[in-house]
Amino acid sequence: MSTPSDSPVPSGVRRRAVLAGGALGAGALGTSGALAPARSAAAATAATSGRYFRHGVASGDPRPDRVLLWTRVTPTAAALPGSGRGPRVTVRWEVATDRGFTRVVRRGSVATGPGRDHTVKVDVTGLAAERTYWYRFAHGGETSRVGRTRTAPAERSTPSHLRFGVVSCANWQAGYFSAYRGLADRLDLHAVVHLGDYLYEYGPGQYGMGMDDVDVRRHVPAHEMVSLADYRARHGQYKTDPDLQDAHAAHPWIVTWDDHEVTNDQWRGGAENHQPDEGDYRLRRSRAHQAYDEWMPVRLDDTATVGDGDRIYRRLRFGQLAEFSMLDLRTYRDEQVSTPSGDVSDPDRTIAGTDQLRWLKDSLMRSRVQWKVVGNPVMIAPVTFAQVPRDLIAPVNDVTGLLPEDGVPYNTDQWDGYTADRREVFNFIRNHRVEDVVFITGDIHSGWAADLPYDAGTYPLGGTAGVEFVCTSVTSNNLKDILGAPPHTASRAVETAILGANRHIKHLNFDDHGFSVLDLTPRRAQMDWFTIGARDDRDTPITYETSWATFAGTSTVVQAAGPVR
Amino acid sequence: MCGCEAVRPGGGATPYDEGREALVTGRRALLAGGAGIFFSAAAAGAANAAPESARTARRAYVIVLDGCIPGELDQGLTPHIKALRDGGLRYARASSMPVMETIPNHTMMMSGVRPDRTGVPANQVYDHSLGQVRTLERPADLRADTVIDRMRRQGFRTGTVLSKEYLYGIFGTRAGRRWEPAPIIPVSGHAPDQFTMRAATDMVTDYDPHLMFVNLGDIDRFGHSDFTGTSVQALRRTALADTDRLIGDFVALLKDRGTWRDTMLVVLADHSMDWSRPDRVVSLAGPLEEDPYLRGRVQIADNGGADLLYWTGPSSGREKAIARMRTMAEGVPGVHSVHDRRADWMRLGPEAGELVVFCDAGWRFSDPDPVTSNPIPGNHGHQATRSIPFFLGGGHPAVPRGRVTSAKAQTVDVAPTVAAFFGLSGRPRGGYDGRSRLL
Repeated sequence: MSTPSDSPVPSGVRRRAVLAGGALGAGALGTSGALAPARSAAAATAATSGRYFRHGVASGDPRPDRVLLWTRVTPTAAALPGSGRGPRVTVRWEVATDRGFTRVVRRGSVATGPGRDHTVKVDVTGLAAERTYWYRFAHGGETSRVGRTRTAPAERSTPSHLRFGVVSCANWQAGYFSAYRGLADRLDLHAVVHLGDYLYEYGPGQYGMGMDDVDVRRHVPAHEMVSLADYRARHGQYKTDPDLQDAHAAHPWIVTWDDHEVTNDQWRGGAENHQPDEGDYRLRRSRAHQAYDEWMPVRLDDTATVGDGDRIYRRLRFGQLAEFSMLDLRTYRDEQVSTPSGDVSDPDRTIAGTDQLRWLKDSLMRSRVQWKVVGNPVMIAPVTFAQVPRDLIAPVNDVTGLLPEDGVPYNTDQWDGYTADRREVFNFIRNHRVEDVVFITGDIHSGWAADLPYDAGTYPLGGTAGVEFVCTSVTSNNLKDILGAPPHTASRAVETAILGANRHIKHLNFDDHGFSVLDLTPRRAQMDWFTIGARDDRDTPITYETSWATFAGTSTVVQAAGPVR
Repeated sequence: MCGCEAVRPGGGATPYDEGREALVTGRRALLAGGAGIFFSAAAAGAANAAPESARTARRAYVIVLDGCIPGELDQGLTPHIKALRDGGLRYARASSMPVMETIPNHTMMMSGVRPDRTGVPANQVYDHSLGQVRTLERPADLRADTVIDRMRRQGFRTGTVLSKEYLYGIFGTRAGRRWEPAPIIPVSGHAPDQFTMRAATDMVTDYDPHLMFVNLGDIDRFGHSDFTGTSVQALRRTALADTDRLIGDFVALLKDRGTWRDTMLVVLADHSMDWSRPDRVVSLAGPLEEDPYLRGRVQIADNGGADLLYWTGPSSGREKAIARMRTMAEGVPGVHSVHDRRADWMRLGPEAGELVVFCDAGWRFSDPDPVTSNPIPGNHGHQATRSIPFFLGGGHPAVPRGRVTSAKAQTVDVAPTVAAFFGLSGRPRGGYDGRSRLL
């Protein structure tokens, strides 16, 4: 595959301005049957100022011949997200091979209404593989901002490289989404992979920035989301963030969910943050999934149809170079073990569920593609926290999840709490000598690079099943936030203890927020970590932190010299 | 029996015995190379070289790093091989083909067709006509035409430098020059790489074949016997470093001779390797004997990581027997999977019997005796040993420089690659099962 064809942006020119320029060009070249002229650059940049398209545009799940387009229309002032109000309307869409829309290749219209919260999802087919497209929507004489997307390479092609943004854990109340700005500004990504916790369920004051839970911004609705209207309104709020809108408009996204899309530490029959007075848990989850289906550029059950199923685990293939297998590690899992016991190894307990586990093993067949990338919402590398100083256990637990203060020194919300499933996956890899398996992971609000040993006790002898790269959070609290300590001070003791007790873990950063970039070539897979400054500064700078790579056939990570260019 | 050690019912003549016999009777001529290296050639060919119709300066050397695991080339032990790999065209997703044993994969390399067409599905098979298990090491066992034969017919010079006795046997006198391996290590039945590469060097110097097919057995043989295989792999690592140095010397030779820019090297393994502890042994003979329907009517050809099961009872009972064998095998600890030998991804002929049983990684078969039949720790044949290194190197312009591709490559691709490099006319009847890996 060739490098993306976009011309470089002059220094200092923001990505959002480039996209707006495309829309401006379309206005001058409008033809009969085409959409109405686009907004001005300024209007496009101020994305929430439009009358009808206040929540931006998005694309997702690229395949060689198709991509899913998304927007939300607000046809009347009262038709706010979650309101259930407003008329049924028709939204037109078009896709072009140029940002000026002089070469429109697909167009159509679609109806939407309050039954689906006025969201629009279109599975545009008949596209050429490995190609950049531009798209926009129109309603009532207004045109949305322009989005850019890209189809996947043909299945049998052998791309020379692929590059993806990798991100997770964006808590509105904890700060601004500068990490999304970093992704939006990049011109070199084929897609953005979101590994879950795209939004949070809490109300104001319940989960914010730092040890005092300061709300940099307040959630809407102003209470924990439980009802369908709540989930819709919260999705609607997140989609007004300008950085998030820019990132969606700039790249197709490949998403999965973790727990907070429903509620904290959810499992198949309940959740830590679901109480009996909040009603039936499964009903709550179905509402959350419905809102997710409506508001996210994703094909649940492999379709763009809203409400026809909620299976999110799926594969996205990029030629013979890579395939992403996006996991759902919440909907089918058994309840977490919260007391010291041997239950974490109980073969009857599962994190993935029988069907998904079988599907994952199919995904890992060595014959499929070279890089088997697993979009993995929670860490799979075994991690013992046994050497962490006792007085730091509580804050570590706050970041990592279920880490009992006494007893089991590992996080039972991760694969460490479901070791039979992990053993089955690793045994499959070993039995078939599957190479070039890369788990990319979110959830834990910190950056990690690790080998995945078959036996952590004998590591580095005994072989490895692959590697894991963990991206940090967009804004959600990490260790320094909870300790209230300056960056890279108190948390150093924890990092040192963990690295010392887990020789297969090569990199750990418990302190920074940001995003990652995964670059794949036939020679190696490399993850770059980028960090942001203060979360409550909308214009906080973004800086490069570190890079780790795994070379083809090695199943081990090594530090890379610098970020991909 | 691990599958790597030759099995000869009744103590029959070895391939080396037959080779010596051919020299004694004058059917083949012995040609002295340097330092005690000997080649043989058809008697007529030795006296009067075949007409040279191929005028090309191109040279192709297929070098098999027997049993090498791809990741072993990134451990700092093999700088010369790694440099060769990284400087050429590397296939990062390359595979051995079932059964992941030496003989079937070498015959696939040179024929370009699968075992249901070569007649060579494994190292060891049960020979119904003999009523015994034996090694497929006779020239007549390989039914398919090879690229060696075709090149020779079209006037190209060809040579084989095969370190293992059964490879020497099955490829027989197909090449214009054949190395007469020496010295041979007892039990392993192979010549050390030091001598094999010396022979390859002499063959290039003395005979200059267009195509030379080389098997280097040390990495495999030391792997088989490495009782530290599940941990530090002391013997194995030593073999890797030693073989690497010899490859470096060979490349230096080609550059010194000024033929590097005419050269394509195809470097690959036939299979990789897996190690098991003494307590992780699968033996199917016992469970088979416990089944009253199967008792005494099933034969097992043990190929280390794969058992081939043969029904010897009446044909009317075959389907029932297959079902019972499958059920029995699937219930034995350490068995990974059971397959119909005709499955699309297997494509094994009737020589493979009825079922192919693979063990889990970290296990091995030992049949018929669970203790004595296969005591060695290093094995292959099962799916855990499928991954192999595969790359094209050399200085010829047809060889891409510094490329890595995610396209698949398989052992069966070697013959069509060599054929494409030389622009050979014709194809095997029915076409190749593999494809050229030149871009």
